Formats: sequence, structure tokens, C-alpha cells
Amino acid sequence: MSAPARGVAADYEAPMLEAGGRNPRQGFRWGRLLLITVALGFLGAFLLLPLLVVFTQALAKGLSSYLGAISDPMAWASIKLTLLVAAIAVPMNVVFGVAAAWAITKFEFRGKSTLITLIDLPFAVSPVIAGLAYILIFGARGWFGPFLQAHDIRVVFAVPGIVLATIFVTFPFVARELIPVMQALGKDDEETALSLGASGWQTFWHVTLPNVRWGLLYGVLLCNARAMGEFGAVSVVSGHIRGLTDTLPLHVEILYNEYNYAAAFAVASLLALLALLTLAGKSILEWRQPELRDGARLRHTNPRGSP
Amino acid sequence: MNITLRGVTKRFGAFAAVDGVDLTVPGGGMIALLGPSGCGKTTLLRIIAGLEAADAGQVLFDGRDATLWPIRARKVGFVFQNYALFRHMSVFENVAFGLKVRTRRERPSTADIRRKVPALLDLVQLGWAGGRFPAQLSGGQKQRVALARALAVDPEVLLLDEPFGALDAQVRHELRRWLRRLHAELKFTCIFVTHDQQEAIEVADTIVVLNHGRVEQSGIPGAVYDEPSSAFVHRFLGQVNELPVTWREGRAHVGPLDITGDAGAAGAEHGGVNPAAPRDEILLVRPHEIDIGAESVGWPAVVRDVRVIGPIVRVELSVESRLPNETLEAEVSREQFEARRYHVGQKVGVRFRRWQVYPASVVRRPTDAAPAAG
Repeated sequence: MSAPARGVAADYEAPMLEAGGRNPRQGFRWGRLLLITVALGFLGAFLLLPLLVVFTQALAKGLSSYLGAISDPMAWASIKLTLLVAAIAVPMNVVFGVAAAWAITKFEFRGKSTLITLIDLPFAVSPVIAGLAYILIFGARGWFGPFLQAHDIRVVFAVPGIVLATIFVTFPFVARELIPVMQALGKDDEETALSLGASGWQTFWHVTLPNVRWGLLYGVLLCNARAMGEFGAVSVVSGHIRGLTDTLPLHVEILYNEYNYAAAFAVASLLALLALLTLAGKSILEWRQPELRDGARLRHTNPRGSP
Repeated sequence: MNITLRGVTKRFGAFAAVDGVDLTVPGGGMIALLGPSGCGKTTLLRIIAGLEAADAGQVLFDGRDATLWPIRARKVGFVFQNYALFRHMSVFENVAFGLKVRTRRERPSTADIRRKVPALLDLVQLGWAGGRFPAQLSGGQKQRVALARALAVDPEVLLLDEPFGALDAQVRHELRRWLRRLHAELKFTCIFVTHDQQEAIEVADTIVVLNHGRVEQSGIPGAVYDEPSSAFVHRFLGQVNELPVTWREGRAHVGPLDITGDAGAAGAEHGGVNPAAPRDEILLVRPHEIDIGAESVGWPAVVRDVRVIGPIVRVELSVESRLPNETLEAEVSREQFEARRYHVGQKVGVRFRRWQVYPASVVRRPTDAAPAAG
């Protein structure tokens, strides 16, 4: 892990050593090494090590027990539920996120800054509170409780509640990724398309979407990772009915609480694998972006022509 | 198609970007909206295009009220300063865009598009570039693609926002000539925005000078240059020297030169000095309106700098009784320079062939972008 750090340090020092034979910033060099060591040590101890532990523990009792744990019907049910929730929550947030980013970046209207703040709300509010809010609204004693009971609709302690809580928690990801990209791109392309006779929909489909596709994909990846991994909000509204309302993270907790460590870690390794795949996808996107001149690179530069 | 604006006004908060503009653009005309940044010229162009809605006033296309028409219905080509090419499409696809997005009924067939787009690319001298992507083109090439794309939908009006602003001088000069030729050939109505008086004079057949959202003056380039209606226009089109007018014994002077009752050859109605009502006044004289002669004639001056710029020679002069840094800039022809051979330190006499006098209180510098202060 220290190889890249050494490389950077050597490149940086070379001209100075040539110039004077002595490095006038000797003290700073040690400070830099110290900082790099601390950063890498922290990463290793708090991020890399736990990840390794998850996989070693998952495979501690051998491959067959690992496969057994993840092919357990209850585990399967939780996998299917997690995929279902993500399959509903992510597309909805893509639609909401694109609409919100479009509105914020292409139009001027009252309450725009309020809308931007609202989009960030799920980041600011604890997921547990989000879950509790849904219980207060849709629960048996909540505002809509009697109405829902009368019509035999279950929201809380059922799949709809889990989907709602997940949508709430993952709402900001797509919008937050798109807003800076769209701001940096400005309105000229869209205005040109309109003046050439394109309809609003054609403009969005043929001009805006291709311009923001990498930013959008990036947002979808992050949104998906969070949707599958969300614990707090889902835990409150799920009711922990095994095989029915247990998502992957909840299932891991149940197994762990039952001292079934090998199985808990086996299921957890699936989530960890998902996280790694997401990161890999993100890296590939970032690697492609410089060529295609949009997305992350624009996000890190000062947006020109932002209103 | 002719375009008429009646009392068009656009406010951004308390700031009036466009303030009651009346304007008539004849069909087939080539109009420059000229003014300093912040004068409202781009906003006015966007209102004509339908990209911005006017708060008050009317936009008429061929006499029909188009004020509320959507952008699509106006059939205007709009070209942005930064080209706004669709970067994920090839040059061909960019130009074909306006044709492909038409409704099925109006859309030309693929074969027609394949014929029309290369013809347009040939017109802008980019026949070879159809397969390229915008990122592979130079600024001038991108601008020509943007023009071809706008022309593809057969607009009756072409609106250009600082079309050559981001290009270097050589390319800009070529594209200006090219745009003139194209306009002569296709005869569309063209309105372009520029802050460059040179560009306006070179390309347009009518110049509209805007300041603080209002039309200061409009007319053919030569007339606006020779007979500016205000000190603002005088300063904005071309170079000027500014000198305070002083009153002695009921006569107006600039330095030792008596200018009473004589406003130079052309500007009598605007700049005539009235000896009965002395007030704060300022005299504007262009560099080429200054005569440099023998020391004994006119205003004594010393040559500070001589610069040969191709066909003209710029002579910097410090005149008597003015501060040394308040120099006058004169321009003489190369021939005259060859005959007289001015040199630094030489003592000469300065006279003005033409000038105009304006009240000093309303004189505003063209660069003064702040909202009207008084």
C-alpha cells in the first residue's frame, strides 16, 4: 500500500535535491510521511480490515457451509426482498431525481433554494427517525391507520413500508449527482434544440440525457448501493417478520443475534460484495469520464455559467 | 421576414435590462446590436428568439404579434457564442438534428437528409467534417457547424449572439467576410449581437447602438460613426480624444484653439457651442481628425511616441497646458508620415479638422456598466 505514496514523494523531492543537495523542507517531508502513514493506517484498520474479516469469517467453516448459509430459504427470501425493494426504489428516485435536477438547473422559480434544502433532508435526518415518521403516518395508530385498516391495506410492517422508507433514505443520491453536472452544462444546448424545433421531450431525450448520462449512472449506482444496504429506516418499519419483511441487512442482524456467526457473515459478505462491485463500477465510470468530458470532472471544477 | 419591436421591456428585479426598445428590422437586413456588456443587447436578442419573455411591449414578425409564440413556432435560428454543439453527436448529426426532430409529417426522408446535410456542410466549407465530433474541431470550425445547424431548418431569421467573440483575430476576420457572403447569397434576416464596433461596422448594414437597455442611435455604419448623436456613441464607435472646453471672454476654447460657434464640419446640430449659455462641456475629436503641422500654427505640442501600424501611423502628442500624461492620440496616413517624418521630441502644432462638443454632465464612458446613476 505504501508504494504509490513513495512514488509521489520521490517525484516531488527530485528537483529540490538537484537544486541544492539539501532539502530545505526536510521537516515538512517527515510531516508528510506521518500524515500519509496515519491516513493509510486509518484506512487499513477501519475499512480494509473489517472487510477482510467479513470474508474470512464467512468462509471460516468452509465453502459448503457458506453456500448453505446463503441458499437457506430465509436468506433467499431476504435477498429477493432486497432486490425487489431496490428495483422499485431506484427507478422511482431516478425519475424524481432527474425531475428535481432539471427543475432546479433549467428554470428560475420561487422556493428553489428550499427545494434544494429539502432534497438534502434525508442526509440530515437519521434514518431511524424517517422510519418512525412512516409508522406515525401509516401505522395502526397513525394518521392514515384507520383508513388503511378499513381498506385492508398494509403499509407498515410490510413491503410497501420498506419501499417507502428506502425511497426516503436514497432520495438525494441521483438529484445530488445531477445538479452540479447540469449546472455546469448550462442551458445553451437545450435552448439550441428548442430553437431548432425540438419538443421538450425530444430535447430531454436527445440532448440533456446524453450529456448527463455518466453523472446519472453514477447517481444510480450510489442510490442502488444505499437502497440495498439501508438498515435503520427499514428496521423500524419492517417488523422483522422472517421470510416476509426481512431485507439482507436485517437478516444479517437476526443471524448475528442468534449467535449464528458463520451464516451472518456469509450473508454479510453478499452485501460487502455488492459494495465492492459498486465501487468498481464507480471507478470505471470515473476512468471513462475524462475522455467523455463530463460527469465527475465537471463536478470538481468550478461550474461555469451556473445561474 | 421583417421584425418590429414595440416598447419591449425586460426587468431583472429592479434592473431594466431592456427598457422600452422600438426597432424595425427590414426583411433580409443584417443588423448589429452593439453596446457595452450589460447594455441589454443579448437580452433583446433572446426576447426576439423567444428564449426570454418580455415584461412589456410587442414583438412582431411580418406584422403579426409574435410576443407569445413559443420558440419552436418562431422559425428563428439561434447561434450561441460558445456554439452549443451537441458534443455526443457527430457534425452530421448536429446539422441534421433540426430536421430529424420534426413531426413525421414534416420530416424529410432519410435520403433527403443525407443530401441536404452535406450540402449545408459544403456551404460552410466543412464538407469533409461530417464524421467528426465537435471536440475534434477548432473554434472557427465549430462556429461554422453551429451556423450550418441553424440554417438546416431554413430559418427566416438568424440570430447570432456574439458569434465570433471567442475566436482569434484572423479567424474572426475571415468569418465576418464569409458571413457577409453567405447573407448576400441566402438573404435571410440576420440580427447579431456584438460589443466589437469593428465587427459591427464590417458586417452589418445597420448598426443599433444600445446603452442601459435603450437604443442610443441606429443607422448605417458610416452615419453612426461620422454623426454620433451622443457622446456615448461617439466614444463607443472608434477612438476619441477628450478635451475640456473652457470659456474666456465669452468665447469657447480648447487649449488655445477658439471653437466658438463652429462645431466642426459635421456636428453643428449636436455640438454647436452656444456662447450665450456657457456650461460644462467636453470636446471629442477622433485621432484621424487631428492635423499635425508646423509649431507656429495651432496648439503647440511635443511628439511623445510614433507607431507605424501598417497603413496608418499613430502619433502621441502632449499638448501645451495639459498634464504630460494627458496625451492626444493622432493618426496620420503612411504617406503623410513619409513626407513629414515626425520624430519623438519634435515640436509641432495641432489643429482639429472636425470635432463635436457635448455637455460634460451626460458624458458616460462606454465601459460604465453600472445602472444609470444620474
